[in-house]
Amino acid sequence: MTKKTVNHRHLLGAPVRDHIINEVRTYVDAAGKMGKIVSIAVDGTAEVEVYIRNQARMAARVGLDFDQQMWSRDITQDACKSRIQDMNDDPSVLGIIIQRPLPPHINIRSLQSAVHPLKDLEGMNPASIGNIIYSDIALVPCTAAASVEMIKATGLALPGLEVVMIGHSEIVGRPAAMMLMAEGATVTICHHMTRSVAMHSRRADVVLVAVGSPHLIGADMIKPGAVVIDIGINRIVTDEGTSHIVGDVDTAAVAEVAGWITPVPGGVGPVTVAVLMRNAKTAHMRQTQIGWRA
Amino acid sequence: MSAQIIDGKAFAATVRQKVAAKVSDLKDAHGVTPGLAVVLVGTDPASQVYVRSKGKQTIEVGMNSFEHKFDADTSEDVLLALIDSLNADPAVHGILVQLPLPAHLDETLVINRIAPEKDVDGFHIANVGLLGTGQKSMVPCTPLGCLLMLRDYHGSLSGKNAVVIGRSNIVGKPMAQLLLNDSCTVTIAHSRTADLPDVVRRADIVVAAVGRPEMVPGDWIKPGATVIDVGINRIDIEDDKTKLVGDVDYDSCAAVAGAITPVPGGVGPMTIACLLANTVTACCRINNLTDGEDFLS
Repeated sequence: MTKKTVNHRHLLGAPVRDHIINEVRTYVDAAGKMGKIVSIAVDGTAEVEVYIRNQARMAARVGLDFDQQMWSRDITQDACKSRIQDMNDDPSVLGIIIQRPLPPHINIRSLQSAVHPLKDLEGMNPASIGNIIYSDIALVPCTAAASVEMIKATGLALPGLEVVMIGHSEIVGRPAAMMLMAEGATVTICHHMTRSVAMHSRRADVVLVAVGSPHLIGADMIKPGAVVIDIGINRIVTDEGTSHIVGDVDTAAVAEVAGWITPVPGGVGPVTVAVLMRNAKTAHMRQTQIGWRA
Repeated sequence: MSAQIIDGKAFAATVRQKVAAKVSDLKDAHGVTPGLAVVLVGTDPASQVYVRSKGKQTIEVGMNSFEHKFDADTSEDVLLALIDSLNADPAVHGILVQLPLPAHLDETLVINRIAPEKDVDGFHIANVGLLGTGQKSMVPCTPLGCLLMLRDYHGSLSGKNAVVIGRSNIVGKPMAQLLLNDSCTVTIAHSRTADLPDVVRRADIVVAAVGRPEMVPGDWIKPGATVIDVGINRIDIEDDKTKLVGDVDYDSCAAVAGAITPVPGGVGPMTIACLLANTVTACCRINNLTDGEDFLS
């Protein structure tokens, strides 16, 4: 299976991303001045810079100002917090992104809690997560929401679908499970203590995988015709010494069985940043609703 | 085979004993008496019974009880002002607003006005999110009671298949989060689930919380499974009499299950016991006595 032709079972992220971006662009054009997105990185690595560049490019596509801030390594937790609080009060700031990873002396959870829930573009404030659990799907963790968008792109109706979420991280697995449950799916959440993941995944109409383990999911774990959403991003090095990115699913093998499968790269990934931009739109709508903006 | 009965009444009594011991310890060692404030608006008879029962049990374990009763037409501003003052009151460690509130009051607004660290019902949106991300939070009382009974019966829950039937904010969703935090593989089933019997039959642990009398029959239960029945439904029997039943059909389920909670006398008594425990937990945290938090284990 090395052919370069398009595999019709591949569920690609680009059209989903473009659809969301167009929707946000239309909103931004109509809204006029919306305020800026602030990206906070502390002592960022090259990898973080790739993310930031990608976000900046997407912000430009929807027409939003993007302020890249790089704070020095010796900044204290309290100083971070107080700067974030200033941004909460600053009407020119539409929303805030805290780039991970942060240096070890900075407590990420405490900073995420400091971001006002209506400026929390990453959906990481406990109140944002709480709202998802209470089925108020507003500002959502981007990767989780992107995964839900990919399932919707198949055209399948979510109510009554059997969904198995493999991986229960707080930023992807758990919020994705809650969002899918709110849409009416019957969701099972598996993780490293699950006795037999295959026993669950084999009867699922939809399998999502977010564990960070290359090629963990093989064809024998998937029901014929199922939707497979691969959220993993793993860098592997081949015997020849070249490195490339693969997901948590053995894509070539599973594509023989699955009805739809998201490739890595090119599946969920591109949609993630689009959802971040849609969160900016949602933040603007909610801020307007409560009277922060005219 | 016949199931072991999980006696919630007896277990709740041991929880209250542990709470009482901890309260006495907090008084002796730190000069702190945990205090629970209960707010009741209106005259709903069931709510009045709950509030009276909560107040009585609070005093029995040696804590301070503060009751605030308002007429049904009390304005939101008055209620919010009371919550602000309770938030600021150092003698109050737990605040509980008895639900449901009269229709003219915004429940979400009122609940989210409570300081999260005093939200002993665990309904504040920040506590919901903290629990949902496996962080330290205040945990809703009924699912906490179920979890304590499950841990007591099983020891470790790790790796067990758990099915929660019902996705309510006050039981189903927090129950699922708690079981996940204890490393169960968790399925949340609900009204849209396509084949509920099939889903329930996979479960080592079934928690039924739907509010439909006796809807889970014994042939949905895997032999040896543990059945936790959260439902409390009053049904009519002959001669104008009524009785309380759960969401599972007790006789047929007890014939198959390994263990089962009865209704009444199962989950019910645990709820107030856990409210008292949450008040002690809140008191410990507010006073930075977090080393004393594991008094239930």
